[in-house]
Amino acid sequence: MYQKPDRIQAPDLKTIESVNYIVPEKNTLINGIPVFMQKGGSQDIIKFEIVFKSGSYQQQKTLQAFATANLLSSGTVSKRSEEINQLWDFFGATLQVDAQKDIISVGFVSLAKHLEPLLNIFFEILTMPVFPDDELEIFLKNRKQKFLVNKRKVQYLARVHFAELLFGPDHPYGKVLQENDFDNLERVDLVAYHEEYLHSGNAVCFIAGNYPENIIEQVNKIAEKFTWKKVPPKVVKSFSLQSTKTSENKIVKDQALQSAIRIGKPIINRNHPDFHLLSVTNTLLGGYFGSRLMRNIRQDKGFTYGINSAIVNLLRGAYFFIGSQIGKHVKEQAVEEVYKELKILRMQPAADSEILMLKNYLTGSFLRSFDGPFMQNERLKEILLFNQDYSWFDSYLEILKKFNAEDICRTAEKYLREDSMIELTVG
Amino acid sequence: MVEFKRFTFNNGLKLIVHQDNTTPLIAVNVLYDIGARDEDPDRTGFAHLFEHLMFEGSVNVSEYDSQLQFAGGENNAFTTNDITNYYLTIPKQNIETALWLESDRMLELAFSQEKLDIQKNVVSEEYRQSYLNQPYGDVWALLRSLVYKVHPYQWPTIGKSIDHVTNATLDQVKEFFFKYYRPNNAILVLAGDIEPERAFELVNKWFGDIPSGSENKRKLPVEPGQSDPRRQVVERDVPFNEIYVAFPTGKRLEQDFYTSDLLTDILAGGSSARLMENLVKKRKIFSEANAWITGSIDKGFLAIMGKLHNNQSMKLAEELIWEEINGLKHNLVPENELQKVKNKLEASNTFAKAGILSKAMNLAYYELLGDADILNSQNEKYFSVQPSHLQNAANEIFTLSKSSVLEYHSGSKK
Repeated sequence: MYQKPDRIQAPDLKTIESVNYIVPEKNTLINGIPVFMQKGGSQDIIKFEIVFKSGSYQQQKTLQAFATANLLSSGTVSKRSEEINQLWDFFGATLQVDAQKDIISVGFVSLAKHLEPLLNIFFEILTMPVFPDDELEIFLKNRKQKFLVNKRKVQYLARVHFAELLFGPDHPYGKVLQENDFDNLERVDLVAYHEEYLHSGNAVCFIAGNYPENIIEQVNKIAEKFTWKKVPPKVVKSFSLQSTKTSENKIVKDQALQSAIRIGKPIINRNHPDFHLLSVTNTLLGGYFGSRLMRNIRQDKGFTYGINSAIVNLLRGAYFFIGSQIGKHVKEQAVEEVYKELKILRMQPAADSEILMLKNYLTGSFLRSFDGPFMQNERLKEILLFNQDYSWFDSYLEILKKFNAEDICRTAEKYLREDSMIELTVG
Repeated sequence: MVEFKRFTFNNGLKLIVHQDNTTPLIAVNVLYDIGARDEDPDRTGFAHLFEHLMFEGSVNVSEYDSQLQFAGGENNAFTTNDITNYYLTIPKQNIETALWLESDRMLELAFSQEKLDIQKNVVSEEYRQSYLNQPYGDVWALLRSLVYKVHPYQWPTIGKSIDHVTNATLDQVKEFFFKYYRPNNAILVLAGDIEPERAFELVNKWFGDIPSGSENKRKLPVEPGQSDPRRQVVERDVPFNEIYVAFPTGKRLEQDFYTSDLLTDILAGGSSARLMENLVKKRKIFSEANAWITGSIDKGFLAIMGKLHNNQSMKLAEELIWEEINGLKHNLVPENELQKVKNKLEASNTFAKAGILSKAMNLAYYELLGDADILNSQNEKYFSVQPSHLQNAANEIFTLSKSSVLEYHSGSKK
């Protein structure tokens, strides 16, 4: 039976009440590593990952953590890098290494049928890497080249120098990579970092996807063949924030056609009770396509291809930033509009329709961010890193239901005043 | 195996439904059979500019994005040389909102000079951000115009120049819409927690009365076979030299696609591949190397690239690339090495079936190629390739007279 559509009136919307968490099954591997498992998915795919609770923050030399993590697979006591690479490729997997400021993650995604041989090589490279000199040399040479290309990109310069402005040039979150950093790293530095930080005592394991019932048994049978050499870590220096006092900062690039801008400040992190509201406020300002900044600066004025704002959550200091690449000829106007929007954010309560749109959008996003075992796994890692549990998500959903326009103004007034911002322009 | 049901409506719209109950979301993909290859050579970049305009309001809905966000949805789109593809995910409860929005912008756009002008600026900034203000940002445009002399693949989707985009008129926009954005030129895919019959009913309700357009018969110029080697040398303000060597290949649906894809994987599909082992690690001439095929619907090309270290010569780089090529022409690829790249493709084909959005996009694209079910037979196509096929393909593809070399020199002052 044909039903004629009403095209004028939007179809009725249904609210989303809850999200189903895949609550992880917890266990401990034979080598003492805690493991969290989340089952699900329509294909026979398994993600296996070990996260070490240290990153570049703990390193003694620039690039030390990054190089150590990336060269784990460059040779072991019994295998050369060619052989190791062959094995990964043969079983259709890629070793994924992510060396961040606070953590290092090493893992892979594979078809379930190839899990066993991959686990063998995985534990071998984690426990017995030798970091050959020639591999380190090639790695540094190639990465240096990449770095020199990045230095030509205004958005890269804006990103790293903005962190420098916020945290200070000596803080591990603010230190800017230099060309000669690639010449100062030695094999012993990698060996030291590996022994101090990349071992079972500092690790958490995650398994997600369609894994078999006896997965723990299967992993243990392999893990027990490998032991970690570990040494107690040196005491990590604590760093104080040396945020700059000047609000406007410029790096001039005469030939650039666009300027990269960053406007922001250090801010509360996920463990603060105001964080959920701040996160919602950030979304309204610049965190989605329908945000104030996108609507004004892209959709109404056409000054840029994109502008957004975000909160970067680091364990020892979060920050907020607004970022964009903007045509040089309209840069001044665009920046002025950004400050205008910041002021409006704290001064004028948003219309009900905008609040409702934001609530619905964020609820949908929340649902999307838990879609499938791999997304669920990402969420789990976030809460564990910040010592939180699933009630953190529940409290977020509560805030999404409750918040109103006044909450946004109050939060903006408290955390996002335009006169509290630090600005950097590159280009 | 990705199962699906197919429906065709009276106005020519094709619907593919894939039911997946493991997710609370539904993915909606609308593919329009229109890409940069269909553009007038004097009005390039139009398909992509038009993609932007599809978000600027339709005849009954002033703001597409706001309405979708209201319903908890999220969307994006992309334009290639072959197609324009719109996709979104939405909580399953609100699927009708997605169909309302997609059907309304298929029915008719709210054309406006002001919005056109703004999006011309946005696209110009996109052009600057992604191409002009990026080191090596013009490589693709250069390669295309080197490989194609006649076929419209010679220009990139962003267009030959910003002027083409800024000169677009509202009349051209309207004409383009009624020619290409018709139900008979579209493939709609729904993937997620929805019964196929229910999907059919809803799509019929929202799309069933949209008038169809005239049939678009493509008459694209055929790229003539290349008979002489081509070379272009450019100098740019970049820190390092790069080299690209390209060769024409076949169409997407020919078996040649699978053999040439495997050839590029033998060369560069992973850290143990030949270019990485031999040229990056052993000879240390490149800091990075890669090889890929364009995989376009009309005849595509295969390209090999290397980023040179500072003290290395372009001439030697080219010779060493040819050494690798000749290895493929003169010797059979060992069984074990072929099995390796097949395994890799099997894994990536499986990963592509893991999420509803990826499934929806793939089903739409394969349906355009002729049958959505091609998605399910990709592994067999790759598995059937034998070492002798690879050698034959290598001899067919890699001939000097069909090569195009792009020398991208660093002209920066040290």
